Amino acid sequence: MNPFSYTRAVDPQQATSVIGSNASAKILAGGTNLIDLMKMGVERPTQLVDINRLPLTQIEELPNGGGVRIGGLARNSDVAEHPLIVQRYPVLSQALLAGASPQLRNLATTGGNLLQRTRCYYFYDPAFPQCNKRQPGSGCGALNGFNRIHAILGQSEQCIATNPSDMNVALAALDAVVQVQGAKGARSIPIGDFHRLPGDTPNIDTNLQADELITAVDLPAIPFATRSHYLKIRDRASYAFALVSVAAVLDLQNGKINGARIALGGVAHKPWRAQKAEAALQGQTADEKTFRAAAEAELAAAKGYKHNSFKIELAKRAIVRALSTAAAMA
Amino acid sequence: MAQTANILGPARNRVDGRAKVTGAAKYSVEFTPPKCAYAWPVESNIAKGKIAAVDAKEAQAAPGVLAIISHLNAPKPKEPAAKKERNSGHGIRNEERLPFGDDEVHYAGQYVALVVAQTIEQARYAAGLVRVTFTPEEPLLTMKAAEDKAKKPETNHDEHVQLKKGDVDATLTDSGLTKIEQTYITPTETHNPIEMSGTIAAWDGDKLTLWDATQFVKGVQSIVSRAWNLPTENVRVICPFVGGAFGCKGAVWPHVLAASMAAKAAGVPVKFHVRRQDMFTSTGHRTPTEQTIALAATRDGKLRAMRHVTNTLTSTVGEFTESCGARSTGVMYDSPAIRVEETVFPVNVSTPTFMRAPGECPGTYALECAMDELAVALKMDPVQLRLANHADNHPIKNVPFSAKHLRECYQVGAEKFGWAKRNAQPRSMRDGGLLVGWGMATKTYPAHKMNAAAKVILRADGSATVQCATHDLGTGAYTAFTQISSEQLGIPFEKVTFELGKSDFPFGPVAGGSNSTATVGTALHEVAGLLHNALAQLAVKDSKSPLYNEKADDITMVEPGRIGLKNAHAKSDSYIDILRRAGRDSIEVQSELKEPEENKKQSFQSFGADFVEVKIDPLLPRVQVTRVVSVINCGRVVTFKPARNQIIGGVNMGIGMALMEATEYDPQTGLPVIRNLADYHVVTNADAPVIDVTFVGEPDFAFNPIGCRGIGEIGITGAAAAVANAVYHATGKRVRDLPITPDKLLDIA
Repeated sequence: MNPFSYTRAVDPQQATSVIGSNASAKILAGGTNLIDLMKMGVERPTQLVDINRLPLTQIEELPNGGGVRIGGLARNSDVAEHPLIVQRYPVLSQALLAGASPQLRNLATTGGNLLQRTRCYYFYDPAFPQCNKRQPGSGCGALNGFNRIHAILGQSEQCIATNPSDMNVALAALDAVVQVQGAKGARSIPIGDFHRLPGDTPNIDTNLQADELITAVDLPAIPFATRSHYLKIRDRASYAFALVSVAAVLDLQNGKINGARIALGGVAHKPWRAQKAEAALQGQTADEKTFRAAAEAELAAAKGYKHNSFKIELAKRAIVRALSTAAAMA
Repeated sequence: MAQTANILGPARNRVDGRAKVTGAAKYSVEFTPPKCAYAWPVESNIAKGKIAAVDAKEAQAAPGVLAIISHLNAPKPKEPAAKKERNSGHGIRNEERLPFGDDEVHYAGQYVALVVAQTIEQARYAAGLVRVTFTPEEPLLTMKAAEDKAKKPETNHDEHVQLKKGDVDATLTDSGLTKIEQTYITPTETHNPIEMSGTIAAWDGDKLTLWDATQFVKGVQSIVSRAWNLPTENVRVICPFVGGAFGCKGAVWPHVLAASMAAKAAGVPVKFHVRRQDMFTSTGHRTPTEQTIALAATRDGKLRAMRHVTNTLTSTVGEFTESCGARSTGVMYDSPAIRVEETVFPVNVSTPTFMRAPGECPGTYALECAMDELAVALKMDPVQLRLANHADNHPIKNVPFSAKHLRECYQVGAEKFGWAKRNAQPRSMRDGGLLVGWGMATKTYPAHKMNAAAKVILRADGSATVQCATHDLGTGAYTAFTQISSEQLGIPFEKVTFELGKSDFPFGPVAGGSNSTATVGTALHEVAGLLHNALAQLAVKDSKSPLYNEKADDITMVEPGRIGLKNAHAKSDSYIDILRRAGRDSIEVQSELKEPEENKKQSFQSFGADFVEVKIDPLLPRVQVTRVVSVINCGRVVTFKPARNQIIGGVNMGIGMALMEATEYDPQTGLPVIRNLADYHVVTNADAPVIDVTFVGEPDFAFNPIGCRGIGEIGITGAAAAVANAVYHATGKRVRDLPITPDKLLDIA
């Protein structure tokens, strides 16, 4: 762990001005990921800006039926249990509760979870000489290494890491909008544009700018999001990262699919919005055959490696099961 | 039927429970002697090669740094002479190499330098500034790569590991017999106790105090004193509590000597707390195994031949053999022909070690799966097949087992589980959309006894302190030994204080091999006799005693708190009265260390049976264990609650082995990729089923005067096989490489 200085932010402006002026400063929120990575020597900030006292913990309705706003500092456990979320966006509540452990959820924040870094072994442990994400140009240790937890969609030869968050998968399915505050002002980033695919720059996880702070996440009003489900497949019953996960939101009318929103976790460098599957579902009858065809369409482009090819079939089945579960909801 | 009444001791609450839940229990690395500094290691990230250079200049200048040691400058203890007998007081080393001894790198994760600083943060920071350059060489990382160097050891810790009885090969070619032959694979598994290993070393001239998280305080004392060429008593080892060990704290690993070297170099006490990720490279693991089992049986299920061939890995700097065949096939069933072979491949991976039931655990996994496959081939019920091959005598030693009640384990277990309702056809049982599988397996673990001594201080207020340099690994040993002391001494449970975990106390052996209760229990029996005799000596000389002028040898304990004539109990005296009249505040006796007598006419072995139910979603096939019945025959159970805990813990660990535990390595660097508790999956509460534990049988007084056979390890044996057999029954698919993760069952849909 590097020596670092510690600043407690008194308002968002101060926080953004510190990170805007010091490229190696980092925001400290829940710390559940950052502190771990600092101990591992992966993150080496020279300054931490603690935002825990900023008033960003709200979970409230937006005006004029505009959905729900979740403050950047709202804790995962608070979001998961909040009536607005439980009732209107069950997929998000379920995703949060499927993640980590109660202790971690009590600390982890909405903004922090958006920025959670990959669990790729080769990234997480600097003892490995190769990781383009940790050290650009060093190569990808996972490509020919142990790659059971790695990506099957949207990866590059430079990086096959996955985004480990459950929350992000639900947010992707819900078309969430990330509200950020920069030194020059505020802007909104649709969730689909927030995380990046690795391409040739896997060292850059998101499109958040160096001076920007996540202040809130807005969930649009989606009346049919009450019919939504999060399915997580993992190696044990609790406290494990997803092998594959699916967030499914279904708009059903008389057994026909009026619209579907599907996102996958554990398969890509970003929460993977399954647009091909969504398109295949549009206007179809909600049955297993339709769901399977949609899953096949989405995974047609998938590519597996030595230890993770099983994810392709597993992802298809998870899509089918998540959609079936959502369709069967009252 | 089950005779549970006379084997169950009282259900005592743990005597150390309150101290543990309130945080008052102080674990070894929680001690902090004055001026204590902190160590942080620098490690190799290559698996084989040489250290070309160590540049510690920048690190040396970092704040708080007191010393940086490497092979270039470390104080040099000498190699303690190799004395491997586990039953001795010489201690155990599996990695036989001094830390920082030379420039050779033998495995990834090897400590190559150690930074000592005033705070742990300073040490960690400075460790990142030490630049070590390596000259890498091509490492051997797999059995195939190490084929030329393979060895067939005759023994492992004094026990024969290659066995031969009858003509196995000829029998296996007999076309009239039903045969199966299969290979079973288990991965590297890592102990991962919640308390990591760690040592604090404090020098005072030529005296050294070590607070060490260990299963063997006397062993640490012996090895470290020999390494520094000091009289044994100059090294004190203190370890009042251990937060789980499972075998990884049985041997002396590099951090122990490294702490003493660093403390010498820095001139202050040094605390070296092993990091979680280093528990995967520096304190041992269970080696991966490849076991090929061939069985041949008559049509009515009588075994005619068993062959168990095991390949395992060891390191290039230590010998350790996971004796799978000898400890399972070598003890389990009555077969006229048995062959066990063991081949060890030395590779550039850190040294493996004992992990809960070393040998028995992977061995029973493979054997009991093979027995299940044989039952299927014979169209025979798995329990009936085992009953048909029940061994009254030890199959190799050919002497009767003492107090063996395995038939009852099957019978009681089957009844409690409802086994009779099992439809033998795979995939025939369902719960809604879920496949249901029922599997079973035999459990076994030998009864080990070593040597120990104890001291008793009885006070005139009727209280007693009992001491032995034994250990409580979280197992409940404090409670069990308090209970045995209370019974043997004849002093109320509440008035006995049992002390352990200090090398100053009379000898206690390694807390391993499930030997402690039998071994220390025997010492407590002996010391109780000495105490009663010492009281008798006082009484017979005391004219006011009812026992005045009697012969001390005719006197024994006649009821708790009283000694009297063996043949005339009415004539007796109380401990308290004897001491008070003698004007004594207390009386102290200590037993002598004796080699345990070896009974060669009988064989001492515990047995048991697990019955397991699993439920599996055929499309998303993560295996959920929903129910376990575990029946154990282990002689007397000293205290029921901790004993039950041991079985529950062991079975859960077996479930973890079956379904999720695996330490994977990077094929290029040889570094483990699984190095923390998020990635190394052990069972969580959500994975742990209700486990119904029953003890059956009788006290095994032929084994020791307490009648117990030890209980720490038998719980894990057989459990993984019972789960794997249940998975086969549920799905019709036989997965022969552990763990059975969802990806291996995708084709059952």
